[in-house]
Amino acid sequence: MEAAIEVNGLRKRFGPTPALDGLSFAIEPGQVTGFVGPNGAGKSTTMRVILGLDAADEGTALIGGVPYRNLRHPLSHVGSLLDASALQPSRSARNHLLWLAHSQGLSARRVDEVVEQAGLRSAIRRKAGGYSLGMRQRLGIAAALLGDPPVLMLDEPFNGMDPEGIVWMRGFLRALSAQGRAVLVSSHLMSELQGAADHLVVVGRGRVIADASVAELIAAASGDRVALRTGARTQAMTVLANAGATVASTGPDTLTVSGLTAERVVALLNQNTVPFSEVSSHRATLEEAYMELTREAVEFRAASAVDGAEEVAR
Amino acid sequence: MSRMSNLSRMSRLSGAKPRGALRASSLRDALHAEWTKLRTLPGTIWLVLAIAGLTVAVSAMSVAATTCLDAECGRDPAKVSLTGVYLGQAAVAILAVLAVSGEYSTGMVRVTFAAMPRRLTVFAAKAALVSGLTLLSGAVAVFGSVLIGRLVMPGKGFTVTHGYPPLSLADGPVLRAASGSALYLVLIALLSLGIATLVRESATAIGIVLGLLYLSPVIAQAVSDPHWHRRLERYTPMSAGLAVQATRNLANLPIGPWEGLGVLAAWAGGAVLVGGLALHLRDA
Amino acid sequence: MSTTEITPYRSTVRPGRNGFAQLLRAEWTKLRTVRGWTIGLVIAVLLTVGLGVLVAVGGSIVCGSNPDGSDSKSGAACRQNPPLGPDGEAVSDSFYFVHQPLTGDGSITVRVTSLTGLYSTHGAIQPDAGTAGLTPGTQPWTKAGIIIKQNTTQGSAYAAMAVTGSNGVRMQYNYSHDIAGDSGTATATSPQWLRLTRSGDTVSGYDSRDGVHWTQVGTATLAGLPSTVQVGLFTTSPGYTVTSDSFGGGSSTGGPTLGTGTFDNVALQSSSPAGAWTGSAIGDDSARALSMAQNEQFQQTDGTFTVTGSGDIAPAGGQGPGAQRAAEESLVGVFAGLIAVIVVAAMFITAEYRRGLIRITLAASPRRGRMLAAKTTVIGVVAFVTGLIAAAVALPLGNHMAYNHGTYVLPIPATTELRLIVGTAAMFAVVAVLALAVGTLFRRSTAAVTLVIVAIVLPYILAVAEVLPGGTAQWLTRLTPAAAFAVQQSLVPYPQVTATYTPANGYFPLSPWAGFGVLCAYAAVALGLAFLRLRRRDA
Repeated sequence: MEAAIEVNGLRKRFGPTPALDGLSFAIEPGQVTGFVGPNGAGKSTTMRVILGLDAADEGTALIGGVPYRNLRHPLSHVGSLLDASALQPSRSARNHLLWLAHSQGLSARRVDEVVEQAGLRSAIRRKAGGYSLGMRQRLGIAAALLGDPPVLMLDEPFNGMDPEGIVWMRGFLRALSAQGRAVLVSSHLMSELQGAADHLVVVGRGRVIADASVAELIAAASGDRVALRTGARTQAMTVLANAGATVASTGPDTLTVSGLTAERVVALLNQNTVPFSEVSSHRATLEEAYMELTREAVEFRAASAVDGAEEVAR
Repeated sequence: MSRMSNLSRMSRLSGAKPRGALRASSLRDALHAEWTKLRTLPGTIWLVLAIAGLTVAVSAMSVAATTCLDAECGRDPAKVSLTGVYLGQAAVAILAVLAVSGEYSTGMVRVTFAAMPRRLTVFAAKAALVSGLTLLSGAVAVFGSVLIGRLVMPGKGFTVTHGYPPLSLADGPVLRAASGSALYLVLIALLSLGIATLVRESATAIGIVLGLLYLSPVIAQAVSDPHWHRRLERYTPMSAGLAVQATRNLANLPIGPWEGLGVLAAWAGGAVLVGGLALHLRDA
Repeated sequence: MSTTEITPYRSTVRPGRNGFAQLLRAEWTKLRTVRGWTIGLVIAVLLTVGLGVLVAVGGSIVCGSNPDGSDSKSGAACRQNPPLGPDGEAVSDSFYFVHQPLTGDGSITVRVTSLTGLYSTHGAIQPDAGTAGLTPGTQPWTKAGIIIKQNTTQGSAYAAMAVTGSNGVRMQYNYSHDIAGDSGTATATSPQWLRLTRSGDTVSGYDSRDGVHWTQVGTATLAGLPSTVQVGLFTTSPGYTVTSDSFGGGSSTGGPTLGTGTFDNVALQSSSPAGAWTGSAIGDDSARALSMAQNEQFQQTDGTFTVTGSGDIAPAGGQGPGAQRAAEESLVGVFAGLIAVIVVAAMFITAEYRRGLIRITLAASPRRGRMLAAKTTVIGVVAFVTGLIAAAVALPLGNHMAYNHGTYVLPIPATTELRLIVGTAAMFAVVAVLALAVGTLFRRSTAAVTLVIVAIVLPYILAVAEVLPGGTAQWLTRLTPAAAFAVQQSLVPYPQVTATYTPANGYFPLSPWAGFGVLCAYAAVALGLAFLRLRRRDA
């Protein structure tokens, strides 16, 4: 089976800066893939290359095995939302969808269907210029759904949404993937994707840093550390170190233990009658997993910024 | 960045200085802020160069195309060597329109008015800067044009024996034509600024400005009635304003040189007034 | 992993056929759903028609005012309709005619032994001034010769053979036709022989140096020529004009002229017996030849005729009496209409760039060339229809109103009228395409709008308002997009009519469709560059 979107070895420079530096990944149907990375990591550029808007210097981007420009009715293959503000403000939202439908040979009835799906019915005859950012995102979603595509690609769709909207969007993305669609959602805020994404492609400096399921990433970031709260800190450290664990003191009565499971820690402490008030397995949040992964990229940027500043100072 | 520092400076000043000083300094700050904005707009430097370059280029072509075969051949050498103003004014109009509508198209106008709530002060600062740039560029354009006329025209039959001394800015009427042409460009800038503030959409604004300027000679040409023809030449901005370029046959002009420039000044003043009023009354 | 049992989603919507038509439809939907653009197009029509009407009725025409003002007339009462030729065109038809009737077929032969002329260098001559103060000399198109004419009414059909001031022997018929014969002049030592033969509707012209060896110059078919026509000798001489470039517009000076031809060996062959010769001044309108008519006469001594006349037998070309104008002057509002169309056409693309909407457009139709073609087609067709409505209303309406306000509008054939309207519409279309292409190149509306307006309107102003001297004006209307205004030219230049053939007078250096072609070339180049740039650059 062919991947819904397959990106292979993309390279692109804007002047001296490499925006994409050998980027490769594939997304599969039936899941929401989060496309994450710090600002400027190359997410939007990748999406523009996939849509044939920007040309890559090297590499290929295929939709179901076909370059985007060769698609006959592209919107029934990929629905995309790049920039929710890309609207003619004086055109009504419905007419915006109407011309897009006409470009695919679709009827006005299809427009009414997606308007309903995106929950925009009451405001659809208003001028798009008067829309709030959240409504523009819904309008963009409606446009992406016009061709009822098996692949959806959304750039920062949570931007400007109120909490209710974010909840709606998460559910909506899940529902779309449950129908067997491949959904690629970019974000620079990991928390937005929590509970929505099944799989993550993490990019930094134009490269894929990680490409794994959400569960795997969290497990990797969590490690096998155990947090321990105890009044007998020195005693506990001795017991656990003797059992082969690495123990670090993180506060007056807290320790972090690596190399032992929580069950083993509890058993050892009980055997040696060391008092403790709390033992918990440390489980990383998606945010932490992401920070862990992108630290290097961010650090590099911060460091190079410092270098640059020093050079200027010199 | 610079807007931020202006902002902080403004707030410092407002805490420290009495009211009168605040007003003066708010105009100074507005000027500084608008200057930074205008100077960092990528098109500005090119437009300022274009005003001078296009004017001199068309003037040079016009000078090269004009010959005087016998005495008093009925041509006005000052006017011929300043023909480039016909094109230069289009670049002036772009400069002025972009200074205003660029802000509206990007929504930056809200940032501007949040930083400087006195809209008319901002408008005045913008007008002063655009006028200043236009005057600078226009002066170079006019000087270059007259210089080309002075150097080339004697070789094209505009000789003393034909009744044409070389063009010289020391000559009263030539000085009037030259300085008047530079002022003409400034007034075109203000006219464009006013219209752009009123209309906001840049393409529409530039269409209206250029239509207002360029249509009058075309229509005057088609009007057979001499009275109406004369009225059109007297009261339309371009025909009236360019009367300032005349140095000969002043008695036959539809309108005197300075009076003509006055008519244009009235148009520009009206446009600035209406634009300023709209800015003051409308939501940003 | 978790994706093992997933069935990929299959789209349930059935898109229409993948045709260019759906792109056109999408672009059309885009255009019509922005109210400002629709308004802009309506404004284009209103400006074109409104200015055309304004110019037609603007001002008042006053004529014939007496010193006490009692008898002054204005408006329609002042209109002087020039004679119309057999093809319906306005003509000049003033000359001195020494004639007699000719019934049925026949021929006339003469020998021309001299052609002389006089002209005024100081404008109109006073009544009863005679030939005092006139300067000797013929005009290039002073004519003396023989003519067969339907009747003595101005504008009736004719065919003539004539010796001219400096254009040799010519056969001319029905005003607009002119065929060159012998290139010499007529003097006592080197006379010219001329002959016209009528056979039914056909009149043939011959010339000869010796009266023995004849050369046929041409044949004219004068449809519906009656059995009895007028035949005889004529002389006429057109007014002269000297145009000088001067500040603020060209000025013309000139005056009336007089021609005198000397004829002998007059031979009339006819089935009916020859009658006596009658002298008539054809054309009695007051302004004719600026009162030179007082000198018109003929003398017959033995077989020698001396005929003195003034005027012209030729197409009028806008130089007749009273207020006249060319039909296309009602289209002056086209300039304003074009500006509105340029603004809309440029924004049709630049608005997409400004908002980033172009990315959605290109995501929906990734083949960029097709997208540009669809946009071009839509804006071109819409601008064409806009121009068609504007011109189809402005031209007849403006001319009708101008006529009713006392200005004679030179009549034009229906085909020319159609060319004016369709040509104007086509100009709207191509200018819109040019604006779209320049907008695609620049991606900025202000620069694009300014460039296109300046390229089209400024050369016209510099050429027509005669800011620049005549030669430059010719080149401007040849090389710049303003050349396209030739498509609106209704006046026909004739080599046999001396006039100031400049853009300011309604004559363009290129033929109508060649001038239009220049604009098309600009649009094509701009569109080509736009296509390359659209394809090569990231959106």
